[in-house]
Amino acid sequence: MTVLARLDEAKAARQQKPLITFNGATLRLGGKTIIENLDLEVRPGEFLCIVGASGCGKTTALRLAAGLYRPTGGAVTFDGQPMLEPRREVAIVFQDYGKALLPWRTAAGNISLALEACGIPVRERPDRIAELLRKVGLPAHAEKYPAEMSGGMQQRLQIARCLAQEPTTLLMDEPFGALDAMTRQGLQDEVLSLTAASNTTVVFVTHDLDEAIYLGDRVIGLLPHPGRIGIELDVNLPRPRDQLATREHPEFLRLRRQLFDFIKATEH
Amino acid sequence: MIWRIASFAVAAGFVGLWQLIANLKLISPVFLPGPDRAWAALMRGFATGDLTSKLVGTLEHMAYGWLAASVAGIALGALIGSSRLMRIYIAPSLEFLRPLPVSAIIPVAIAMLGLTQGMALFVIAFGAIWPIMLATIHGFAAVEPRLYEVARALQMSRPAIVFKIALPSALPDILAGMRLSLTVALILSVVCEVLAGLDGLGHWVLLSARAFRSADLFAGVILLGATGYVTSIAMSLAERRLLAWQSTR
Amino acid sequence: MSLERTKPLLLPLVVLLVFELWARLAHLQSDSLAPPSAVLAALAAALADLTIPIATRDTLLAAFAGLTIGSVIGLALGIAFGVSSMLDRLMEVTIEAIRPIPSIALLPIALIALGFGYRMEIVIVAFACVWPMLILSRTAVRRVEPRLMEVSRALRLTPVQRIIKIIIPAALPRIFVAFRLSAGIALIVAVTVEIAINPLGLGAGIMQAQQALRADLMLAYLVWIGIIGYGLNFALVVVQRRMFGRAAIAGAGS
Repeated sequence: MTVLARLDEAKAARQQKPLITFNGATLRLGGKTIIENLDLEVRPGEFLCIVGASGCGKTTALRLAAGLYRPTGGAVTFDGQPMLEPRREVAIVFQDYGKALLPWRTAAGNISLALEACGIPVRERPDRIAELLRKVGLPAHAEKYPAEMSGGMQQRLQIARCLAQEPTTLLMDEPFGALDAMTRQGLQDEVLSLTAASNTTVVFVTHDLDEAIYLGDRVIGLLPHPGRIGIELDVNLPRPRDQLATREHPEFLRLRRQLFDFIKATEH
Repeated sequence: MIWRIASFAVAAGFVGLWQLIANLKLISPVFLPGPDRAWAALMRGFATGDLTSKLVGTLEHMAYGWLAASVAGIALGALIGSSRLMRIYIAPSLEFLRPLPVSAIIPVAIAMLGLTQGMALFVIAFGAIWPIMLATIHGFAAVEPRLYEVARALQMSRPAIVFKIALPSALPDILAGMRLSLTVALILSVVCEVLAGLDGLGHWVLLSARAFRSADLFAGVILLGATGYVTSIAMSLAERRLLAWQSTR
Repeated sequence: MSLERTKPLLLPLVVLLVFELWARLAHLQSDSLAPPSAVLAALAAALADLTIPIATRDTLLAAFAGLTIGSVIGLALGIAFGVSSMLDRLMEVTIEAIRPIPSIALLPIALIALGFGYRMEIVIVAFACVWPMLILSRTAVRRVEPRLMEVSRALRLTPVQRIIKIIIPAALPRIFVAFRLSAGIALIVAVTVEIAINPLGLGAGIMQAQQALRADLMLAYLVWIGIIGYGLNFALVVVQRRMFGRAAIAGAGS
């Protein structure tokens, strides 16, 4: 039942207007072309994963979508408008959580930063903070400083801060790249359930092919020098996904093989 | 703890040695009073209030100059440190001035302002501003770029970025600069008091020396040492409180 | 590239030029300010009649003598405390009680004991230089790679050999940094003592110029003291790079 419902949803989404569009987007930085003529559409509610060899421009593509870079050619639009500056409905989760958190603020204080920026009144903040901490599984750690938390906890905290913006779109740049395998799997499932519950659109950059297939509705593989799309795969795996069953699914293995061959070919 | 007690015992031993030297008159009592006489002079000074008012005078000079230097140094440092253009055009000039012995500005200040409180305040503030300003510039220039991106992603306003991101991030540097300046402020307070005859411990020790009242002189020096010690401890406590997030690393 | 290098010079040049113009146009008559051209002329004259060179010699003599004495004492204590943590702990209270005394507070004591002249200035400079040397060389000795200490034990070096052959060379880059810091402090303290009370050297010169209401000469002294301070620091940085270019980087790695 749920499988069919999810497939129908995906089909319906396909007919919807795209949320993020790359229209021949090109980025040159310091005489080097990092991304060239990238065409890409991200549909509302979709979980899109971008993979590729290191240096293929996947992080750059994400920064274009976030409005942290402006394309030097073509256009990047969000909801029909050019994305020239960051906006609050688009939140970005950085890979280096250690650098992206304010070390002088506690967990609660770091979440508060986003609430302050969004102009949430002071008396509403404590409840919101408590709820967000509970959502990411850190309810007991409100008064801890980032330096007192493990890597996994710090990344949860960064995700909570992003959720505090109440974004419609979450951009994630290799968020679990620096975490150990167990922590990583736990966080994968949490991100899936958090974003499914709020029907958040996600663009997820990773170099881990298994992770991309496990999480995504669709996986895009980028070719390097300059970055452009090399492969696009729809992931028709049942949801909710399961760390054991999904990874043993024949379709998962087929996609994994296909993606693996693609990446291998790009690396020579 | 045992070491601490032993360490105090050693210090007490040195005081005892000092007493012995004084008692045996190995050094003329005109130059070297025993700790007993120095202590008596200290107590007498407090009892009559003479020494108390001098101590308050020095503390006032030091505090006003240091506070003025802190406010101005942080403001200027933030302004210069957060602008790339200013860093290119202004910061090298400041670095060039850094090795200048600040006391050399005293004659110029005397020529401009006379032997006044204003002159002392100007000299102390001028000397104390450098470490604070340069540390602030450095702190602002060294803010993690990722945090500025976080601020952009949250569309924070410019003042919000300064007060919520840059200033707290630069705080360890700023406090280190303020600690250095505290010592500078104390030294310049004493020098200004000596030169301009302003009410303070510097003036007190000079007068005592001229009158060969060595016990009073040592009492003043002890008090100056205590001032340096207490202000430095207070600064450490402030640093520990404000930088609690750092100590857990 | 050459344009990039001139940018930092722009601000001081503009300031001097504006000041010069303003001073000329306003026919400046002041006891505290003089146009840059007049200051330069006074500096040239004072250099030519040897008043500034002699004063410089006096100041540097006192500063270096104090620096040498203070550094040797500070280094000896620093190495002793660094090698023996027992000694370090026993002396802690004593050291912490003496260290916060501002060097300049010793001025009256040195004055009645030694009178005006080089000796009292040297004593005060030495007192000021002991502390950075002591603290930093103690840290330097403590941070000597433990493996080197094991080597010295394996070679059965005597304690004296150990200090001379292993500890000092290994800690030298950091010790030199401490020396550079102390040299700056020595100059500052020497000038300060001269300005406050001692009738010799650059500090006394600048005070006399002020009292004679010679603004041009006073500012010439100020500029010259700045040049000496900058030159001293610059020279020591160059020496440091020459001597420890690579070792310093390796030594600072820990």
